[in-house]
Amino acid sequence: MIDPGKALILFGITAAVLTVLFIPKYGLFAQWKRARHGMNRALVEDALKHIYDYEYKNINCTTESIAGVLLISTDESAELLTRLSAMGLLITNDNGVKLTADGNSYALRIIRVHRLWERYLADETSVPPTEWHSSAELAEHTLSPAETETLAAQIGNPNFDPHGDPIPTPTGEMPPRKGHSLLSLKSGEFAIITHIEDEPEAVFAQLIAQGLYVGMQVRMIDRSNERVRFAADGEEIVLAPLLTNNLTVAPITEEEQRITAPLDSLASLKIGEEAHVLSISKAMRGQQRRRLMDLGVVPGTTIRAEMKSASGDPTAYAIRGATVALRRQHAAMIFIRK
Amino acid sequence: MKKGLKKEQSTTTASSKESILSSANTLRWEIGEHVHDSLIESIYADANQIASRAVTLPAGKPRFDFDKKLDTLITSRWFGFPLMFLLLAFVFWLTVEGANIPSALIASLLVDTIHPWLRSVFVLIGSPWWLTGVLVDGVWLAMAWVISVMLPPMAIFFPLFTLLEDFGYLPRGAFNMDSLFRRAGAHGKQSLSMTMGFGCNAAGVVATRIIDSPRERLIAIITNNFSLCNGRWPTQILIASIFFGTLAPPALAGFITAGAVVGVATLGIFFTLVVSWGLSRTLLKGEASSFSLELPPYRPPQLWQTLYTSLIDRTAIVLWRAIVFAAPAGAVIWLVSNIHIGTMSIAEHFINLSNPFGILLGLNGVIIIAYIIAIPANEIVIPTVLMMTVLSTKLSGIGSGAGVMFELNEATAVADVLRAGGWTMLTGLNLMLFSLLHNPCSTTIYTIYKETKSVKWTALATIIPTIMGIVICFLVAQIYRLLFV
Repeated sequence: MIDPGKALILFGITAAVLTVLFIPKYGLFAQWKRARHGMNRALVEDALKHIYDYEYKNINCTTESIAGVLLISTDESAELLTRLSAMGLLITNDNGVKLTADGNSYALRIIRVHRLWERYLADETSVPPTEWHSSAELAEHTLSPAETETLAAQIGNPNFDPHGDPIPTPTGEMPPRKGHSLLSLKSGEFAIITHIEDEPEAVFAQLIAQGLYVGMQVRMIDRSNERVRFAADGEEIVLAPLLTNNLTVAPITEEEQRITAPLDSLASLKIGEEAHVLSISKAMRGQQRRRLMDLGVVPGTTIRAEMKSASGDPTAYAIRGATVALRRQHAAMIFIRK
Repeated sequence: MKKGLKKEQSTTTASSKESILSSANTLRWEIGEHVHDSLIESIYADANQIASRAVTLPAGKPRFDFDKKLDTLITSRWFGFPLMFLLLAFVFWLTVEGANIPSALIASLLVDTIHPWLRSVFVLIGSPWWLTGVLVDGVWLAMAWVISVMLPPMAIFFPLFTLLEDFGYLPRGAFNMDSLFRRAGAHGKQSLSMTMGFGCNAAGVVATRIIDSPRERLIAIITNNFSLCNGRWPTQILIASIFFGTLAPPALAGFITAGAVVGVATLGIFFTLVVSWGLSRTLLKGEASSFSLELPPYRPPQLWQTLYTSLIDRTAIVLWRAIVFAAPAGAVIWLVSNIHIGTMSIAEHFINLSNPFGILLGLNGVIIIAYIIAIPANEIVIPTVLMMTVLSTKLSGIGSGAGVMFELNEATAVADVLRAGGWTMLTGLNLMLFSLLHNPCSTTIYTIYKETKSVKWTALATIIPTIMGIVICFLVAQIYRLLFV
């Protein structure tokens, strides 16, 4: 029989080796999978996407900017551009590079897959917002056109990705860019967030952590060079101007929609109290949102808090004649008027 | 001429189609992102309008007073949980106590009376000895064991459970338990499928249908096996009474035995929560998830309908599947014990081969082979272990020959056989752990596949507990040997 001490040590070593190999994200297996994710095709497609993005935003695209975005050297970037023009996807002129018609439609196809995939993740899965972009970066190079169209049909041919970007149609149509930066708002002006840029990742994560989402109402309070103060759904938020650059807003006009005080949420309703639903926060997506709407939680519905569970959470509510228990985290995303 | 007209028509429709499509294309960017929400809202608005005109409600009728009072009691901070534990304890007590007598009756009928009679019939009609062996000693005995161990508890447990469900108590139980399961990344209703798993894992897996969120349902399915099912309770009780009950003075033996078994079952609940937590944060992180829990009004349970549905839907189906899977297992058990290669039977070869691995895990070769052959039904593990121990140690005067499973009426007699097979306290402890942590029985595996329609999740549900069982038994064995040997 093996000596128990030795057996335990052997077990410890095996467990350590397996951990190093297979731990999610940092393990050798995960790294290998990431590295394998095609050098060539992915690089070409990422470059096209980047050039398209800059053209859409009317910024000049150069060898250096491509090298910077794709994390490659300038030499490699120059080589890549030469290859792309040899493929007939772009032409080089005095101001930098420009996509050809072929290059344009190729780029749009990639962007379509990317944004569809993000929409899919947001609506049909529980993948957290900070991981949508990186997952879509992988998916855009692997999904075939047929698979893409199946996916689009499955999720109801959406028009916008969860960041508020339009999804190109299969024929490559895209509306012109709209909206402007949050910084352009004057004090006291109301607007709706129409887009939250998902790059760089750290900035996006910070904005998400603040509870900002596409469709949220904002009101500029004041701004200086160091900080921007604004109300989002009535609640005050302070951000560095650099961060607010990632927020695009569109003005709202109708007087009645303006939110001036922080909104009450269903979670604040005490047992026995009754309230009307104002709206479900746009931050609640996918299945949970559909389920609530199926249960009849729509603007105007009357809800009464019935009882709390023995452990304090969830709480049961009377909704349209049925008693339904909801968790606090979800109730906090349903806005009400008492 | 007719043809020309048709052509003209089709060109006009084509051009108007194009103009419609192009205006649709420009419009699609303007309707915005939340067109589906607006659709649902307008449907509700319309329905409201129709209902307000067509339906009249009796003026302000509140929920029934009785319902409200009961809900206040059941979900109260102080009485909610004790009430639930008392109710559960009562259901288990009724199941265990109530099943004893019918179980013994069925066993004496199927095993002690019909088995010898079948045997003599087979001999009378001149069937060859091996056919008699496979069919009567193998297939018949395996089926008899599964039926006698499984049927009575299921026939008591499931109707009781269904009564509670019908009455409306179970959703309140899930309501109270939700915060614990929420922290483990699971759904409160998993407390119900988990409890159902104490009766039978296959039924527990089917019961996860009540969980409407895909991720939480998968979690509940994969972890259901950590609920000690009624095929494993008898093993736990027997082994605990032999190896732990005897540690204490006779007056306390029953208490210690019960404590050990409850300890193992509690360990199972602990693993359910830990594995749920791990799954929801790793493999199942991306699966869609939502939560809502409807609390229906209380209703007087319908006794006869409940009895009928729970007997037909749950008991009969599960029992039938178990029999279908147990019959071939019986044949295999008889065959491996009776087909010889060289001087030894296949079973003995395998036992010798797997013995070093078994010993490493604090078990032995007999237990390993018993768990492999008895994948179809946990109920036949102990009879197989006894038969194989006698076979491999060449004990005489016990049992009725190679391949014929048996049980002994006295725990002390079982203890003698096991000790002769080289069992120690460690073997007993690890058998209890391994009985909790090993692959689900084949009925459950098949049910998991039918419910998930996925080879991946079925494989995962099978492999996770097996690996956990091997690792934990291994660690316990090494530590036990370092400390006590």
